[in-house]
Amino acid sequence: MEGAGAVALAPAVRLTGVTKRYGPVVACAGVDLELLPGEVHGILGENGAGKSTLMKILIGLVQPDEGTVELGGREVVIHDPQTAAELGIGMVHQHLSLVEALTVWENVLLGDASKFDRSAARRQVMETAEHYGLEIDPDRRVGELSAGLRQRVELIKCLRRDPKILILDEPTSVLTPAESEQLFTTLRDVVAAEQRAVALVSHKLAEILHATDRITIMRQGRVAERSRTVEATAPALAKAMVGRDVSLRTNAAAFGAIDLIDQGDPADQAVRAERDEAEAAVVAADRAARPVVLSIDRARLMRDGVTLLDDLSIEVRAGEIVGVAGVEGNGQRELGDLLSSLVTLDGGSVSVNGTTARTGRAGCMADLGIGVIPEDRHDSGCVLDMSVAENLVLDRIGSTARMGLIDRKRMRARAVELMREFDIQAAGPDAPFGSLSGGNQQRVVLARELGHRPTVLVAAQPTRGLDVGAIEYMSNRLRAAAESGIAVLLISTELEEILALSSRIVVLSRGRVIGELDRREATSERLGLLLGGVGIDESTGASA
Amino acid sequence: MSSNEPAVSLDRATGTSATNGPRMMRGAKLVALYVLAIAVALALSALLIAVTGGPWRKVFTALIDGSIRKPGRWGDTLAESAPLLIVALGAIVSTRAGLVNIGQEGQLAVGAATATYVATQGSGPFVLVLALLAGVVGGAVWAGIAALLRYWRKVPEVITTLLLVFIASQGTGYLLTRTFLLLDDDPNKPNRVQTSAQLDADTRIGFIRIFGNAFPWSVVLAVVLAVLVSVLLSRSTWGFRLTVLGRNPRTAQRIGVPVVLAGASALMLSGAFAGLAGATMLAAGTANFRYTPGFANNVGWEGLLVALVARNRPLACIPVALVFGALRTGSGFLAATGVERSIVDVVRSLLVLALLVPPAVAAIQRRRVSPPPAPVSTDEPVVAVAR
Amino acid sequence: MIASAASAVGDVLSSEAMYQSAMRFAIVLAFAAVGEWIAERAGTLNISIEAMMIGGAYSSAVAWGAFDNVPLALLIGVLMGVVVSLVQAHLSHQLSIDQFVVGLTLNLFVLGLALFLDSRWEAVTSVVKPTKVPLLHDLPLVGEALFGQPWPMYLIVPVVPMAWWLVFRTRWGLEVRSVGDNPQSADVSGIHVNRRRREAIMVAGGCAGLGGGVLVLGQISIAGYEGGHVGLKGIIAIAAVIFGGWTLRGTLIGCVLFGYFFALQQTLPVLGYRINAQLAASLPYIVALLVTAVFATRTRQPRALAQPFVRGLT
Repeated sequence: MEGAGAVALAPAVRLTGVTKRYGPVVACAGVDLELLPGEVHGILGENGAGKSTLMKILIGLVQPDEGTVELGGREVVIHDPQTAAELGIGMVHQHLSLVEALTVWENVLLGDASKFDRSAARRQVMETAEHYGLEIDPDRRVGELSAGLRQRVELIKCLRRDPKILILDEPTSVLTPAESEQLFTTLRDVVAAEQRAVALVSHKLAEILHATDRITIMRQGRVAERSRTVEATAPALAKAMVGRDVSLRTNAAAFGAIDLIDQGDPADQAVRAERDEAEAAVVAADRAARPVVLSIDRARLMRDGVTLLDDLSIEVRAGEIVGVAGVEGNGQRELGDLLSSLVTLDGGSVSVNGTTARTGRAGCMADLGIGVIPEDRHDSGCVLDMSVAENLVLDRIGSTARMGLIDRKRMRARAVELMREFDIQAAGPDAPFGSLSGGNQQRVVLARELGHRPTVLVAAQPTRGLDVGAIEYMSNRLRAAAESGIAVLLISTELEEILALSSRIVVLSRGRVIGELDRREATSERLGLLLGGVGIDESTGASA
Repeated sequence: MSSNEPAVSLDRATGTSATNGPRMMRGAKLVALYVLAIAVALALSALLIAVTGGPWRKVFTALIDGSIRKPGRWGDTLAESAPLLIVALGAIVSTRAGLVNIGQEGQLAVGAATATYVATQGSGPFVLVLALLAGVVGGAVWAGIAALLRYWRKVPEVITTLLLVFIASQGTGYLLTRTFLLLDDDPNKPNRVQTSAQLDADTRIGFIRIFGNAFPWSVVLAVVLAVLVSVLLSRSTWGFRLTVLGRNPRTAQRIGVPVVLAGASALMLSGAFAGLAGATMLAAGTANFRYTPGFANNVGWEGLLVALVARNRPLACIPVALVFGALRTGSGFLAATGVERSIVDVVRSLLVLALLVPPAVAAIQRRRVSPPPAPVSTDEPVVAVAR
Repeated sequence: MIASAASAVGDVLSSEAMYQSAMRFAIVLAFAAVGEWIAERAGTLNISIEAMMIGGAYSSAVAWGAFDNVPLALLIGVLMGVVVSLVQAHLSHQLSIDQFVVGLTLNLFVLGLALFLDSRWEAVTSVVKPTKVPLLHDLPLVGEALFGQPWPMYLIVPVVPMAWWLVFRTRWGLEVRSVGDNPQSADVSGIHVNRRRREAIMVAGGCAGLGGGVLVLGQISIAGYEGGHVGLKGIIAIAAVIFGGWTLRGTLIGCVLFGYFFALQQTLPVLGYRINAQLAASLPYIVALLVTAVFATRTRQPRALAQPFVRGLT
């Protein structure tokens, strides 16, 4: 029985008029939502649309200011995740809820109230794993597992508690296309055979259209639209999500929509192919003439006996965007760290215009003119409790100083200039950086890194966690940077982003470049296969 | 504060009424909290004296008499405050770099000992300057051991600085057992106690005499240092880069602040301040211009507390150091009341404990009304004590 | 010179008193170290373990003087350790005040308080008579050390396995380990991070309080309680945890090692060797510094050690 037909079923959970405010910010405004048993319910929205807050309310991490939650027709108050678990609500978190130092079975046990019994727990893990075809070794330490396997553990952890309602928050962000497909198959199974209610939270149109029965679209904390999946079309969903007509093509990266375009209307495809062809010809002819700016040569990095970068070689020429594709955890972070002067290589070299860096020395990469938008700006891109102005001049503090003393006026003037140029919304240059929205924080980092004309710009996951407008802005800035002659290295786990921006693509796996494609040759299928090779490899690596 | 309540309950308990409350209200609340905290600490102290059978009113009167009211006392209080202030300034420097140096007591002892060694080799103002510099070096080297272990072997500096306190007090004690080191070799020395030779009259720090009070020039030095540290930390590129290092070491490394070098030098600078404090104590006559066992006499610990109470603001350290100095001089007058001097230690630490609470409560309230933080894309902790 | 050093080593190694004394110090350290180990597994580098020990030592001594009842005195020591830990736990893991700031202040506070109260109610420092296990205590060299200690010392025998069981074989222990390693994940899994951390600190307080009590009541050759000082033994216990690489076994080995050097300072003069008192006294601390330095990087510490947890902040 397909859930879509079962209209008469009582909802497993019903949210009525749920509102949550943070000071002046309204994260959810009077949201109504029903999840039906036996259905996958897609919750679609941009970052900041309120879908995460809504799910956190369901799971008890956030308390609503107004509104009610009913489970099976009975009103409940969900104080904390434990209450949620007791009520039969389970969630697979985007940034998983696993503890690396613990084993798989310990992680599965973590947070419930059952008896602490090792052998019973191991048995249950194996049973659950077998039942859903999610093979895993219960005694492995989670820290040793790949991102895909970790999510499998997370799923087992949820399913073992036999939840009536299962929430998945951006589940495919750490998966290869093949792994994503497998996940959706499992979900189908869970829904159809066991009549659970599943909420799939995502910003990717393709997977929402592919894997759900019903869709709720959120925008600015409100429900913008509801529809049955069979009746939905990609452009309509995109419009409802953003609130205006948007081109799926230019915003492919934001919507995860490359596939939709590929399969979509043949006219569009023809246009696209034609345009690509023309573009590519120009680029290819041009490229050979341009000098190699950034050259990473056989970089090798070991840590605790694990090879993180394995003879990695990448060259980036002036004015091109080279995309580094790969499933999370395959050396992207280390590559970003390397170019942020944060690690010392065990072999190989990094050079810019022929000058070789002394890797690991503080500021060595910045000295060579490498600007970095780090994967996690809070980790190495900013100082949260300093002001916007201070963050904007962070690496150039010397230029605002006289005789070692900072000239605050000059610093502020420079900051205001950059804030204007990059359209940074803040209370002022003295506002604390931490008070800015994610998009504006990212703009501050971008402004600082582009502000002094770098030779190379490294953008690691530059659009993660941003809304469509911000993604569009970031994409345009990266293109403009390349056009102005900067060598751009784009490191991303979002295939769509890579495909939308790069002129050349290298595929990273286990710290190694396993393939290099010109944009002309690259399709999401081909890339997916390259990545998938890794995925298949690893899933067999999990011995029972 | 029941132990069964979850951490969030504090947030929940205060409800939403304070949301968007005017900032002035919050400021007034904070002041009220501070007053309340101090009152509670003093009341508890009084209660403690009372239950042990002491006259608590007399104790407080004696403290005030001993610190300011009686003739010549406020000069002594200034003299006692100076080393506290210098130690506190050093503590602020290391804290700014994100390091937890809590071994000032040992760094001060080592600084005083090295200063003694130099100062007793000759006499005159030049030797005095050399002795003060020796104190600076001694304290810096002692803190440098912790820095070395922190950055080379990744041992938390919290533990090493503490262990080094004990080693310093025993080690400098050992120096006083050998005449070729510090022990006074004058056969006519006053008693059998192990002390160093006395500093010559012209190797001592001069005194300022005013209104029947006298205090050493080191008081002026301490205040000048406070202003200097304040300006350098808030205005200089050095202070800026140190702040970046303390708040986000990875960002610091990326923008070209050498984490190890800058961190180690901050820790050593912090020790240098403590060492300087020890040297000034010696040359200002704290122990009759001699190095003696137990010379540091808790000045290192108390200086550290000054920095804590001043919430790591150099200029705010000045009044706090005065209060703590007053407690030290005031305790000298307690004998007459029959109450143990150590009650002052209790009063002081109770005050510090109480003063920790209001800003913490304010921070929790602030956090509650602010919007959720921007999404972060990693679960990795940014800084670890030792990895 | 070398010959005399060799004979000194020989004398020390063949001295029954040395083993007995070393074991006694090791046991006292172990109580605190086991507690500290649990607190650190939960993510708190709990320097107020010193204060908890002082509190336990002083109150046990006073209680024994008042009631002349060893179990009661020990119990009061445990309670006092827990009281001190309550202050630490709530200030650092409910009001989110820096744990080192709280710990340091608490150390000074409890030390000052003990000194002050000592002037009014003097702590008694006599000791419990050794319990000699028949036959076994006649074993050469280690007989007295293992089977001739005052009975409170033997409380370590149940305490260590209980601590292990608590951490590795109970749900509470699983949760404690999770909050010490990845509090964000533990939180979304439904663990009360700061509550677990507070509880772990309280366990540490109880253990350290007991250690303080045993120190006062069980030390034979020296007055263990010197006017409130436990001589930074709490800090040495922390060094033992670091030395042990956050494993229980390693921590205990650290306690034995440091205990040995505490004993050396006492035993050498008894054996007729002249050693400078100050150098001997600082020996355990120097050793602690050196061995933590040598072993620190080889081990795995809880990833969130000494990092406060506030929901929503990373």
